[in-house]
Amino acid sequence: MKLARRKVLQLIGLLGAPSVFLLVFFCGPLLTMLVYSFLTPGIYGGVDWVFSHLNYGRILGWADTRYEKFDPVFLGIFLRSLRLAGLTVVTSLLVSYPAAFWISRMSPGRRDFAIFLVTLPFFVSLIVRLFAWVLILRPTGFLNQGLMGIGITSDPIEFLYSDFAVILGMTYVFIPFMFLPLYGSIEKLDIAQLEASSDLGATRVQTFWKVVLPATMPGIIGGSIITFIPSLGNFIVPSVLGGAKVLMIGNLIEQQFLSARNWPFGSALAMMVMAAVLLLLVVQLRLARRGDA
Amino acid sequence: MTALDGVSLKLASAEFVTLLGPSGCGKTTLLRCISGFETLDAGDVLIDGAAVTQMPAHRRPVNTVFQRYALFNHMSVARNVGYALEIAGNDKATIRTRVSEMLELVGLEGMEKRSVSQLSGGQQQRVALARALAGKPKLLLLDEPLSALDKNLRQKMQQELKAIQRELGIGFVFVTHDQEEALTMSDRIAVLAHGRIQQIDVPSVLYESPANLFTADFLGESNLLPVAIDGGQASLADGQSFATTCASRQATLLLRPEALGLAKPEGPKLSFSGRIAETYYSGKDHQITLETAAFGTVRALIRSGATAPEVGADLTLHAPASGLHLIDEVAE
Repeated sequence: MKLARRKVLQLIGLLGAPSVFLLVFFCGPLLTMLVYSFLTPGIYGGVDWVFSHLNYGRILGWADTRYEKFDPVFLGIFLRSLRLAGLTVVTSLLVSYPAAFWISRMSPGRRDFAIFLVTLPFFVSLIVRLFAWVLILRPTGFLNQGLMGIGITSDPIEFLYSDFAVILGMTYVFIPFMFLPLYGSIEKLDIAQLEASSDLGATRVQTFWKVVLPATMPGIIGGSIITFIPSLGNFIVPSVLGGAKVLMIGNLIEQQFLSARNWPFGSALAMMVMAAVLLLLVVQLRLARRGDA
Repeated sequence: MTALDGVSLKLASAEFVTLLGPSGCGKTTLLRCISGFETLDAGDVLIDGAAVTQMPAHRRPVNTVFQRYALFNHMSVARNVGYALEIAGNDKATIRTRVSEMLELVGLEGMEKRSVSQLSGGQQQRVALARALAGKPKLLLLDEPLSALDKNLRQKMQQELKAIQRELGIGFVFVTHDQEEALTMSDRIAVLAHGRIQQIDVPSVLYESPANLFTADFLGESNLLPVAIDGGQASLADGQSFATTCASRQATLLLRPEALGLAKPEGPKLSFSGRIAETYYSGKDHQITLETAAFGTVRALIRSGATAPEVGADLTLHAPASGLHLIDEVAE
């Protein structure tokens, strides 16, 4: 009994501080946002403590008052964010998967160096890296000058401030997020299983679909989720590379809090992002559980 | 680097051949040449009379049981076993029937739905075997499949493997470094060392009359004594001699520990006297290490009887001169 009590005390000692920290600094602000999203915006900013469901109505279609009208543009921005985040996941997966395969087959020394290279961008400020992309993509940038130099185009192409630029930028930023979980599951892949598949009559393509892909699925799902979540709420990449043309939900939330000073509406938008992410996690858990059985 | 050199191996259909040798002797490489995972610099692999040398692994009519099984962890037992049939494009009913047949063959009836990771080592071994046999290969290759199992299970699997091979009537090429395993299971054993086949023959011939010192030393326990031969008489260092037909002037006598006994046999014999340096009791017999003046250490295996040999005692052991085997090689 004495032992059990000591264990409990140990656990409290170890977990107490982080639990309190998470409660105060993570759950606290989230709860505040949830409550605010059901309040009425104050006339000079802030909130009035009057219940209102119209913040959600403005996004989803039932608000029809003088000040608070439903506007399909909000839902449009939300859907565009989902689309851009989804495409970012796809492109970073397409880049990271072969790279992870290649790196996992290297000699240990070169492998460590390659992984270091993948994580290298973390050491440079995100803003600096994104403005470097502006220099590359703008009409008088390196890319357009190169293309015009070799005569592929006579007029500069509008790369910047497009969906393309935003997807490119987010892919670039989130490749390490996709790469590391992928690498984890690809490195664990037993080469003998590939030989066994081939031995049992499968071509390389069949082996890929039936053995390699299912065996590395945990890495694909893990990498996709931790790429999708920050992509969906991202506002730095679209504001630098997307400008005013490619507005994502993150930019909209930022505007509501900082420029429009409509905190309840900003909170409602943020809750929509949260809901989308939670839905995704629930689906993933369901799939994972079915995979186990 | 040359892993294999001048290897020639021919299997009768439905033969159980074991590739036996120390690690690094090239036995696994030879197996991978047959399965198609290694390419030959020179030479040919023929299966059923047809050259498959240029054929990629997935088209060869052979299947392999891998050393650590290499089962597909993300699939059920049934999908593992049915994999070859699924790849070949069989319909579901055919696959299901064949899978349950195979599981019955290896003693895993009704385990179709299990996940591979829920199985014990022995069961995984059986799934690997069923998976390799499901596609009806002409030849089954087994790469040290029993090395990960404990001793009791290993002996049981040895007997089952042999029984399955007899039932199916297809050729098995079995790789092992365990000589006991090789002796009990094989129709023929190929002893490999340094990338070459040292000798290939039925187990009893290999054990009783090995062609060279490597085989004699590698298979079982042995006393190797130098002899000089003159006029049809082979003489040992202490002057004892026996008749031989060997034509060389120098050779090596192979004396298996179990050939030595306490009883004096009728007719010509060899005798060894010395002091007992060590004895081990193993149940049915005593292993004795005898220090002799003329030959140094001589090892013997004496049936357990009324008198237990004691360390330090003097002992004389005899071996009948009939059945002595001379190897036409001189030990260094």
